[in-house]
Amino acid sequence: MPMPSSDRAPVLVIAEQRAGNLNPVTWETVAAAQALGGAVAVAVAGTGIAGAAAELAAADVAEVLVLEDPALESYTPDGHIAALASLVEQERPGLVLFPHTYQTRDYAPALANRLGGVLIPDCVGAEVRDAGLVLLRPMFQGKFVAEVAPAGPGPHCISFQIGAWRADAAARGGAAATRTVPVSVDGSTIRQRPEAPFQEAKQAVDLTQAERIVAVGRGIKGQEHLPLVQELARALGAEVAASRPICDSGWLPMDRQIGSSGQTVSPKLYVALGISGAIQHLVGMKGSRTIVAVNKDADAPIFEVADYGIVGDLFEVVPALVAALGE
Amino acid sequence: MKIAVCIKQVVTRDWPLRIDESAGWVRDGDASFEMNEPDAYALEEGLRLKERHGGEVVVCSAGPARVAQVIREALARGADRAIHVVSEDLPTADAGVVAEALAAALRDESFDLVLTGLQSDDQGFGETGVILADRLGLPHATIIMEIAADGDGEGRIRVKRELEGGWFQWLSMPTPALLTIQSGINQLRYATLRGIMAAKRKEVRTVPFASPPPSAWNIVALRVPVKDKQTRFVDGPPEAAAAELVRLLRDEARAL
Amino acid sequence: MLIVGGGPAGLAAAYRLATRHRGPGGDPPVVAVLEKSREAGAHMLSGAVLDPSALTDLMPDWRSRGAPVEVPVTEDRIYFLTERRRIPFPVTPPPLRNHGNYVISLNRLVRWLAGQVEAAGVDIFAGFAGAELLYEGDRVVGVRTGDRGIDREGNRKATFEPGVDIRAQVTVLADGVRGNLTKSLVERFRLDGGRLPQVYAVGIKELWDVPAGRLPAGAVIHTLGYPLPHEQFGGGFLYALPDGALSVGFVAGLDYRDPGFDPHSAFQRFKRHPLVAGLLAGGEMVRYGAKALPEGGWHAIPRCHVDGALIVGDAAGFLNSMRLKGIHLAMQSGIAAADAALDALEAWDTSAERLARYAALVESGPIRRELHPVRNVHQAFAGGLLPGLLYSGLSLVTGGWWIRDPMPAHPGHQRMQHVRGERSAAPDAVPVDRRLTFDKLTNVHYSGTRHDEDQPSHLLVQDTDVCRTRCREEYGNPCTRFCPAAVYEMVDARGGGKRLQINASNCVHCKTCDIMDPYQIIDWVPPEGGGGPRYEGM
Ligand SMILES: Cc1cc2nc3c(=O)[nH]c(=O)nc-3n(C[C@H](O)[C@H](O)[C@H](O)COP(=O)(O)OP(=O)(O)OC[C@H]3O[C@@H](n4cnc5c(N)ncnc54)[C@H](O)[C@@H]3O)c2cc1C
Ligand SMILES: Cc1cc2nc3c(=O)[nH]c(=O)nc-3n(C[C@H](O)[C@H](O)[C@H](O)COP(=O)(O)OP(=O)(O)OC[C@H]3O[C@@H](n4cnc5c(N)ncnc54)[C@H](O)[C@@H]3O)c2cc1C
Ligand code: SF4
Repeated sequence: MPMPSSDRAPVLVIAEQRAGNLNPVTWETVAAAQALGGAVAVAVAGTGIAGAAAELAAADVAEVLVLEDPALESYTPDGHIAALASLVEQERPGLVLFPHTYQTRDYAPALANRLGGVLIPDCVGAEVRDAGLVLLRPMFQGKFVAEVAPAGPGPHCISFQIGAWRADAAARGGAAATRTVPVSVDGSTIRQRPEAPFQEAKQAVDLTQAERIVAVGRGIKGQEHLPLVQELARALGAEVAASRPICDSGWLPMDRQIGSSGQTVSPKLYVALGISGAIQHLVGMKGSRTIVAVNKDADAPIFEVADYGIVGDLFEVVPALVAALGE
Repeated sequence: MKIAVCIKQVVTRDWPLRIDESAGWVRDGDASFEMNEPDAYALEEGLRLKERHGGEVVVCSAGPARVAQVIREALARGADRAIHVVSEDLPTADAGVVAEALAAALRDESFDLVLTGLQSDDQGFGETGVILADRLGLPHATIIMEIAADGDGEGRIRVKRELEGGWFQWLSMPTPALLTIQSGINQLRYATLRGIMAAKRKEVRTVPFASPPPSAWNIVALRVPVKDKQTRFVDGPPEAAAAELVRLLRDEARAL
Repeated sequence: MLIVGGGPAGLAAAYRLATRHRGPGGDPPVVAVLEKSREAGAHMLSGAVLDPSALTDLMPDWRSRGAPVEVPVTEDRIYFLTERRRIPFPVTPPPLRNHGNYVISLNRLVRWLAGQVEAAGVDIFAGFAGAELLYEGDRVVGVRTGDRGIDREGNRKATFEPGVDIRAQVTVLADGVRGNLTKSLVERFRLDGGRLPQVYAVGIKELWDVPAGRLPAGAVIHTLGYPLPHEQFGGGFLYALPDGALSVGFVAGLDYRDPGFDPHSAFQRFKRHPLVAGLLAGGEMVRYGAKALPEGGWHAIPRCHVDGALIVGDAAGFLNSMRLKGIHLAMQSGIAAADAALDALEAWDTSAERLARYAALVESGPIRRELHPVRNVHQAFAGGLLPGLLYSGLSLVTGGWWIRDPMPAHPGHQRMQHVRGERSAAPDAVPVDRRLTFDKLTNVHYSGTRHDEDQPSHLLVQDTDVCRTRCREEYGNPCTRFCPAAVYEMVDARGGGKRLQINASNCVHCKTCDIMDPYQIIDWVPPEGGGGPRYEGM
């Protein structure tokens, strides 16, 4: 692996925080860094981040680096890029790792560019082979996985898809040293002026953002049975989605349709109730992390992509699931 | 307002793609192509801005000769002229190379606004626009869901960004600037017969991509994702199966 | 000049029009082509073995212009299949001989031809469907394109674009087999009066990638017999392209009697025959599609000229079913129509009388020369395979004279028989392994079919009550079987019983339903322009 032999940590993880609260996906990236071997440092940038830094110090890492600067109070790409570019230049890590969040997408590509490289985004895995580091990233909307080898001198910037690593796999080792890294960001060079984030009354559901989805198919028989499904969704904290025939019949709005002519989703949990698993449906959901299928036909193709399956009548299984979740 | 919109030609969604002999790319010699979806929204947004403020919309696409298809489509929808950066190697290139190809074409002209799609349906980098902004020295904002009609009152552009989990944020910045546009920001118009006729007379400037930068990474191999997990069937009467499933989801899959 | 349909017929007409009168004096006429597919050629599905004669007539230098016509037919076999065996025909009957022909992909040929046509100055408007003909009195004066941006309920969406009226001196209808505009024109003027009713077949095809060494490029195989019973018209084909690409298809006459017959499962069954399965083993299906073809021959061709309009290609029925070839005749008819139209334009007279010159050119040219001698073949096949073969052999010897000429025939859908007390004779479903055999929905995925989902159904069923009542009893809803894209489904209705569910966005535009529905209450109309399959290499 092209890692410089220096006494500094060769792997740098960029933590994400908002208003001083650590985004827990950071732990996934810590797990990735640990899995790659070598000393790991975690950096957190912002203001009022002592708590986040202390939390990170519980990780089994060499160091936690703290970048405090008033110009970093609210997130801006210009501010982040300036601060982190200066950090990387001082620390000279071989790899810089990010969780692939909306914020990462916003600044990390430009940061990597400043550092003379290109971010390898949205990776789902990493392997250290004889020939060096190889990253796995989905392509063509998950139809294929590409094995990608970083080239050039580095540092190599890599972001990992959320869920690609498990946060609880991050080893915690007690008390890592915390070091404040001096960065000074000239506020006048920050061109973006952010306003306060706000939540919008959802007009259209964005299923692509849902963590859990309960999807229902023609096995539900009639619109009058939908409350059953909604109840399960509530118990799971999930959004309700459907196969095309359900939306075609107007039982659910079209923006709830999953599949080639609907939404493509990859939630943490996808529960398919009475869905046969036609290829047009599968292409929209097979990237989900955990797939559960309930179908009375043991040969239904949905089971080919399911992690867990119950062969049975959804009218019996769903109420039982609701009950089991209530316990 | 002089607006550049970067559009990419990608393999049609749902095209039954296969991996080629080299196992390093797909067989796209016989594929059908279309305009990358978020780019189509970016183009539409550009056209609407022009309708509101006047000016010019210039589309820029970098890629092999076949990308003329999406250029023509963009002109038919109403773009005023086009720049085609010709390079055979771009489909497999990394985002830095693609951004440089676009930057090379856009640098000579001074645009007030550069729009790109949020990400492409093929390689799915989601970073070409941001790198391009940095190369052009422009401020940028990503995942844009709305562009305010009157700016922020100080001559800056004001845009709405999508954040995670149903959150949004407005921010403003000086122009020239670069925005990456999210699908669904507007409703796409159809190309009209009149537009298609007019497109034939519009200028398409082709420029060679003289000095591509070195690759920052290489695709070693492409493969079909393997499903490593077997389906685990949970048997028994409904109550027992449900209880067991909930346990597995909680403890094993950690999906709850 | 307006041409509707950018297939071989329409593009040949366009090219002829644009190139014939170049040079001193006459400016070329302004020619436009409307094509419903999103890109030129995307709705083309054929075998295909090309007889290059018409292409040569149209464009003598096609070779140097890089036409994708590269693989000459190298061998030519024909088998009679039983369930397990194959019996080679000792000699290939002359009409099936393919010496001098080429194995091609029609949609590549058409895409290339479209480029040539555009370079010659013609506007091709892909993604625009001709929705209806415009008339002044009884004269065709152009075409109205379909509205776009209408939602499922028929309301205008924010993006609504109304259809456009395109007016032309002469409108050439090249809308292919069972074209919606041709259908309405033929009905309005009873252009088929005194002709035999057109009979059709549906061809279902997959493109495969097979391991090297299975069949040499240019090999052509036709089969008769299994899986069809003796009295049914149809057969299989295998055409080998370079690099292990293999076209596998099955053509089934749309005049079958058994309402339980399903052409898609007949095709799957055909692939399981040892001959075919052996060639496909270890290979991969890469594309799927289906399309009807007109098989009625000479006597079923309607009058093809009216005031202001001409009908060409498959829309008119210029196809030699004995040779399973229509591309060259489509092109020949396009050339003839272009010549007749130019003559009419120059004379400032585009009346039916003047345009009748088109009929004269067809009569005196290569089309009649080819179709007339084989004019009774399909009608003979209507009596079953053996009489058909006997007849076709005889008619070749006799030059086509038979006891009765023309022979009587009925529209195919009228031959369908009621479900009798017992189950249909159709064999049980073919096992689907998704390697060799596929279900319809998986297959449709490989046709690249896409429509905007939020639009009204383009399959108009005049009376869905018939579906759940009479048709259910009389025919057992054959639409759920003859449609190769699973568009029609009978689903449980709310208050018990069944109702028809139309999954219009699955439609691969084959036209089978419009043809074969026993009550003739299904009307195929074009969906929003650009929708439909996306064939490539087919
Ligand atoms: C071009 C095109 C685009 C398409 N786009 C989409 C798309 O975007 N999304 C999509 O979903 N589909 C799409 N389809 C349709 C797709 O092919 C299938 O028709 C559809 O997904 C089937 O939906 P289903 O699984 O709900 O219904 P069915 O296939 O009818 O399956 C119902 C299932 O329910 C099971 N079942 C029945 N009763 C019970 C019970 N009591 N308990 C448990 N199980 C039961 C049955 O065993 C069966 O497996 C598209 C098709 C085409 C051709
Ligand atoms: C399975 C199969 C195998 C065949 N094998 C062979 C073979 O080996 N050799 C051979 O020579 N022939 C073969 N044929 C026949 C040959 O393909 C046809 O005869 C030929 O394609 C007819 O050309 P056409 O231009 O008349 O119609 P088409 O090729 O059908 O073209 C019609 C065009 O019009 C468009 N269109 C239709 N309606 C509208 C509308 N309302 N608005 C706008 N556009 C519209 C369609 O999208 C299409 O592009 C085969 C056919 C099939 C189905
Ligand atoms: S709906 Fe009709 S035209 Fe469409 S695929 Fe089915 S049979 Fe063919």
